[in-house]
Amino acid sequence: MSLSDNTIGETVRIRKRQLWDRFRYARQDLTEALPQIPGVAYAFISPFFILFSVFLAFPVFYTLYLSFFEYQGIGQGALIWIDLGIFWIEIPQITNLEFVGLGNYARLISDSLFWQSVANTTYILVIQVPLMIGLALALALALNASFLRFKGIFRTAIALPVSANIVAYSTVFLLLFNEQMGFINYLLTGIGVGSIPWLTDPFWARNTIIAAVTWRWAGYNMIILLAGLQNIPQQLYEAAEIDGANRWHKFRYVTVPQLRPVLLFVVILSTIGTFKLFAEPYVITGGGPTNTTITIVQYIYRQAFVNINLGYASALTVVFVTIVSIFSIIQIKLGGEN
Amino acid sequence: MREEQRQNAVWMFLTYTFVLVMVLVMLVPLYWMVVAATLPQSEFLQFPPRLFPGTAFFENFGALQGRINFLQSVGNSVIIAVVYTVLSLLLCSMAGFAFAKYEFKYKEKIFYTILATLVLPIQLLVIPLFLLMAQMGWTNTFLAIILPWAANPIGIFLMRQNMKSIPDALLESARMDGASEFQIFYRIALPTMRSSLAALAIILFLFQWDLFLYPLVILETPDMYTIPVALAQLTGAQRIYYDQIMVAASLAILPMILLFLVLQKQFVSGILAGSLKE
Repeated sequence: MSLSDNTIGETVRIRKRQLWDRFRYARQDLTEALPQIPGVAYAFISPFFILFSVFLAFPVFYTLYLSFFEYQGIGQGALIWIDLGIFWIEIPQITNLEFVGLGNYARLISDSLFWQSVANTTYILVIQVPLMIGLALALALALNASFLRFKGIFRTAIALPVSANIVAYSTVFLLLFNEQMGFINYLLTGIGVGSIPWLTDPFWARNTIIAAVTWRWAGYNMIILLAGLQNIPQQLYEAAEIDGANRWHKFRYVTVPQLRPVLLFVVILSTIGTFKLFAEPYVITGGGPTNTTITIVQYIYRQAFVNINLGYASALTVVFVTIVSIFSIIQIKLGGEN
Repeated sequence: MREEQRQNAVWMFLTYTFVLVMVLVMLVPLYWMVVAATLPQSEFLQFPPRLFPGTAFFENFGALQGRINFLQSVGNSVIIAVVYTVLSLLLCSMAGFAFAKYEFKYKEKIFYTILATLVLPIQLLVIPLFLLMAQMGWTNTFLAIILPWAANPIGIFLMRQNMKSIPDALLESARMDGASEFQIFYRIALPTMRSSLAALAIILFLFQWDLFLYPLVILETPDMYTIPVALAQLTGAQRIYYDQIMVAASLAILPMILLFLVLQKQFVSGILAGSLKE
C-alpha cells in the first residue's frame, strides 16, 4: 500500500492548517479579539432583543406616557371583562384617554390612602428587613460554626420555605394566625398568654405580615450570607486569634467588614423585595383592618384594576419606582463608604 | 483553660438550641398544613387541634376538585412554567453567547440598556402590559403570561458571564472544521454550560411559578388559572373551606419541596447565581 499524491497533499494541508491555527490562537490569546462576523451576532440577540423591546422597554415608557392621562369615564363599548370570582371588572377601550398633564401627580399628593400605603410599607420594611437579615446572619454564622454537625440537614430545613409557592404559604399563614382556630393562638392559649387578634388588630396584622415574609425569605438570605462567610479567608481569623481576639472581636473586626458587600447586597435585595409586597397582604389581611396593612403595590393594583384608574395608577407606579430607586441609591451610598 | 472549655460548651449549646428552634419554626407551618389537609373539616376545627395526620386527604381533595378544577390549575402552572423556562433559556443563552463571543456595533450600549432594566420592579409593567395584551387580544392566554419575561435581564447577564469562560480556541477550531455559527453555539457552547443552565432554569422556573399579580390581571376564566390565582380565589370565598385550602396549598407546595430536596445543589447555586455575585 502506497500513499497516493492526493493523501500526501492532504497531510501537508492539515499540517499547514495546524500551524496556522497555533499562530492564530497565540495571537488571539494576546489580543483577545473576538470574531466580528457580519449578521451572526445580531441573529443571536434579535429574538431576545425583540421581546425585550416590546415587553420590557416599551412598557416602561408607556407607563410614563399613561401617567399624564385620565380615563374619560367608562362608556363606549367595553374592550373586555375580567372575572375575578369575587368581583367583575370591565375594561373600557383605551381610546378614552384625556390628557391631564401633571394632574395625576397633583392628585396623589393629597391622596391620603396612597400615603397611608407608603407608611404601611415603610413600617413593615423598617421592622422586617433588619429582623430578617439579623436572623439570616445569625443562622449563617451558626451553620458556619466548625463544631456544628448535620449542617446539610439543618440548611435544607431552614431554606425549605423558599420553595413554597407565595400564595400557598400565605394561605397557610392566614389559617395559622386565625384568631379562633389558628394553631398559633392555640399554642399561646396553652402557655397562658391568651389569644391575640392577629388579623383584626392593626398592630398585630402588620406583625403577622412581617412574620410571614420573614419565614419565607430568611433561609434564602441565609444561603447567600453563608456563601459570603465561606469566602472569608481563614487566615484572617487565625491572625486575629494570635492577637488575642475573642469571639465578639472576631465578628466585629473580621466578619463584618469582610462580609460587608454581601450584607449590603442582601439588604438592598430584601428592601426592594419588601417594597414590592403584594401577595401576602392581599391574601392574609386583604389590606385590612381599615387599610392598615395595604401596601403600595396593593394600592396601585386597587386603583388600576378595581377602580379602573389606569392613568392615575401609572402615575402612582412612577412615584413608587422613584421611591424604590432612591432607597437603593441611599443604601449603596451608606454601605459603600469603605 | 477550663474556663474557656466551659465557655465553648455553653456557646455550642446555645448554637444548637438556636438552630434547632429555627428548624422547628420553619417546618411547623408546613407540617401543620399537611395535617390540616388530611383531616375532615369538623375534626380540624376541634380544640385541642389534632397533631397527627388523618386519612381524609382524598375526600378533601375530591371536594376541592369538585368546587374548582384545581388539577387543571396545576397543569396550567406546569405548562406555563416549563414553556417559559425553556424559551427563556434559549433566548438568554443565544443572546448571552453573542455578547460573550462576538464583536459587534453598539454591543456595550445594548448590553447596558438591558441590564439597566434589572432594577425595575416587575409591578411597573403590569398596567402597560395589560393594556398591550388587551389591544392585541391576548388577554386570557398563556402566551400573554409566557412572553413578557422570556427576555429576562438576569438570564442574559448570567449567560454572558459564564459563556465568557468558554475558550475561544475551542470555538475557533470548530469554525475551522466548517461548523456553522449556530452549530458552534448548539454543539459546543451549550453543552459546556450545563450547570449554569440548570441554575438559571431554577431561577426562571421559580420566578414564573411564583408570579401572582400579573396572571391575576391577565387570566380571566377559571380554566386558565395558574395555581396562585386559583388559590387566591379560595380564600376570597364567602365560606372558607379550610380543609380544601390546605389540600390545595399542600399540592402547590409539596412538588416544589420535593424538587428542592432532589435538586438542592442546583437550587443553592441558582440562588447564589441570582444574587449576581461577581
